[in-house]
Amino acid sequence: MNKKIKVLVGLLLAGMLIAACAPVATPAPTQAPAPTEPPAPAPTDVPVAPEIDCMGTASGDEISMLYQWSGNEEENLNKILAPFVETCGIVLKPESTRDQALLDTRVKAGTPPDITFWNVTQLTQYKDLLVAMPDLGVNADNYADYWKAIGTVDGKWLGLPVKADPKTLVWYNPANFAAAGYAVPASWADLDALVEKMVADGKVPWSMGMESGDATGWTGSDFIQDILLVTQGPEYVMGIINGTVSYDDPGVKAAYEIYGKWAADAKYTVGGAQGTLSTSFLNAIHKVFSDPAEAMMVKQSGFAGGEVKATYPDLAYGPDYDFFGVPGAKGLQGGSDWMMAFSDKPAVKALVAYLSSAKGGKMWAEVGFDLTPNMAGADAYTDPALLKKAQLLANATGFTPDIGDSIPGGFGSAEWKAIVDYLNGGNLDAALTAAAAVQAEALNK
Amino acid sequence: MRWSSINKKINNVPTHIIIIFTLIIWIVPTLGLLLTSIRPLPAINTTGWWTVLSAPRGMKTYEQACASCHGQDGKLLTAADLTNPDIVKKYPRSTQLTALLQKEINGQPHLGMTPLPEAQESADIAAYMKRLSNLDKTPKITLNNYVDAIVGYRGTQTYTEDCKTGKQSLDLKCNLSDLVNPRGMGRAFLNSLIVTLPATFLPILFAAFAGFAFAWLDFKGRFLLFAVLVGLQVVPLQMTLVPISRMYAQLGLNGTFIAVWLFHTGFGLPYAIYLMRNFLGGLPRELFEAAYLDGASHWTAFTRLAIPLALPAIASLGIFQFLWVWNDLLVALVFLGGSKPVMTYQIGNMVTSLGAGWQLLTAAAFLSMLLPMVVFFALQRYFIRGMMAGAVKG
Repeated sequence: MNKKIKVLVGLLLAGMLIAACAPVATPAPTQAPAPTEPPAPAPTDVPVAPEIDCMGTASGDEISMLYQWSGNEEENLNKILAPFVETCGIVLKPESTRDQALLDTRVKAGTPPDITFWNVTQLTQYKDLLVAMPDLGVNADNYADYWKAIGTVDGKWLGLPVKADPKTLVWYNPANFAAAGYAVPASWADLDALVEKMVADGKVPWSMGMESGDATGWTGSDFIQDILLVTQGPEYVMGIINGTVSYDDPGVKAAYEIYGKWAADAKYTVGGAQGTLSTSFLNAIHKVFSDPAEAMMVKQSGFAGGEVKATYPDLAYGPDYDFFGVPGAKGLQGGSDWMMAFSDKPAVKALVAYLSSAKGGKMWAEVGFDLTPNMAGADAYTDPALLKKAQLLANATGFTPDIGDSIPGGFGSAEWKAIVDYLNGGNLDAALTAAAAVQAEALNK
Repeated sequence: MRWSSINKKINNVPTHIIIIFTLIIWIVPTLGLLLTSIRPLPAINTTGWWTVLSAPRGMKTYEQACASCHGQDGKLLTAADLTNPDIVKKYPRSTQLTALLQKEINGQPHLGMTPLPEAQESADIAAYMKRLSNLDKTPKITLNNYVDAIVGYRGTQTYTEDCKTGKQSLDLKCNLSDLVNPRGMGRAFLNSLIVTLPATFLPILFAAFAGFAFAWLDFKGRFLLFAVLVGLQVVPLQMTLVPISRMYAQLGLNGTFIAVWLFHTGFGLPYAIYLMRNFLGGLPRELFEAAYLDGASHWTAFTRLAIPLALPAIASLGIFQFLWVWNDLLVALVFLGGSKPVMTYQIGNMVTSLGAGWQLLTAAAFLSMLLPMVVFFALQRYFIRGMMAGAVKG
């Protein structure tokens, strides 16, 4: 045999050997440090109830979890869970993917993760497999009734709302507003007047770009849902989600027409219909804060602030970029993430108890991973933008989850398709009828 | 020069044009990705990669409108020294700068006879003043994206900056151990290697045995068995994910390297056996007859005769299988997932669900391309030869 080949084979075998030994040497991604011995309490100490209840978990117990967060979001979650991991000595086995097929494969194969953080639709999809929150020792008092209602399927509270991200926001540059003499609108009529004034001044009011790969259209569906909250109110939106209001209802059509008036016209939005369809949603944010600004306002959820900061490091929140709630909206629209448990082992119980506790809510708010529905965290935000959003949420008369996220069976895509078709010049009635058919099939099967 | 050779040259022109065109189509986006990966995020988000070598933003406009009074370097007027950050700080953007330029200085228009710049020009000048005064220190080219991708940085600044200020995330230590941080591309590279080497070696090994047996050993039903094995190629691997995941769960193999090795070996074998059998079957029968006459056993004939002759086929199989396993996301995601992240898995995790942090993605993508390129260039002479392997008999 050739000498080179022998060396190669030898290397391969050595590689395999190393590999076979490797699992032992691989530390878990967020390995908990061994729990430190609690310091001996000073004799004068009054015994206080521990902030974190470990529910009798043994140190070294594992929780496998699967979530859609990655990058900086994962970092935030780790910070939030750090006190819990340290106190209880629990080892987290996190996995991150945005591919829901992985969750479905794991569940079908009978190897679901202990817990998952996913969308509200999965509560219905996995209602027979999930452990109810009251059985896991949730601190129910920390949650408003409307949150519990959203998380309840067939009379059982199956998911813990952990993160809320209000989307009913409009981002703008206060310096540009001041220079042009514009004021933040207080009502929908004000906003309409402001938009017309901007057009009259030769400025482009909106940056509405919505390109997002195969999810193109989601910023449009957010916008339309906000318009529905203004023109119809939260009960109507919940009606769409429940199926009592069909998606081809005249109210929906009217909202599409208000949206279309802006989104398809180069006077109102950067690039007109083609600009809306082909500008990426991130680029759409940049256009409002670039110098010179291409547009005056962009309707986008809270992450826009971080995006502005990363792109224009010299801008400051407050004087240079800020947001206001969509004026006249009766209720908020928001994305929400839910924790659901496939296991009722003590470690999972302890985690549910921690996240729903006062300490957990405060940690979530301090780290600033969007908003926490946990009321204990309401005043613990340190970030001014989050604080403002939390006030919006606290004053909201209702909270409606994203329509597309809440109707199972791919309604989100159907909604996006309707918007894209409409902006491409397609027939609005036909587009809405097609989406309504998907809605009816998903809800009345 | 003779006509025939000129004709030949002209005949080749279309071919050359097509080749050059194809090259450009492939290389331009790759080059763009490479340049993007070495630029800082604010630059990526605001200008295209092709501007990387052009003059700083606003330099030309500044020279036309301002340099005559303020000087090329901005220092000419001591009262309005444009290299002084305290002065420039007051006019960060076009709105403030235009307002200043509209005001009169000592009863004279600020710009004299020069017309007031447009908003775009004003913005460009403001941007250039920030460079002059060193307020804007963003470098043109940076390796930060690569560093951040390798260590698996997840913050909002950069790894080097966070380490300087001591604000790094919980799982980073700011020393060499970060190179194998479980969330970084460094560790993912090792994991990918651990997955790929055995998953390439094992199917080739078994396929060589099987191919030899099918080609040169006489046993009953070998054609039927061979046909069945080759027929197995039609089984789509997606179909088997759930049942095999269940089986692995019973055996406790989920999340181990062995799971992926077995899976890739299984799915690599049908094609590998097919290729090896056809290649080995194409070797001259006389060669083996001579060896057997001289008293060689099957094992000797296999190791001393078949394997050295089949090297091109083995090399090409190696490249195919290596690239397939290295680039595979699905199998690694389902059976390894986050417990032992491989490169394809980790690339996707660099960005948040809303697309923040995508500058890391460009760097991570290049890191994942490195080894396949090395393998391809090292073995490329076997590549074409191997594709022909087994295609023609004789």
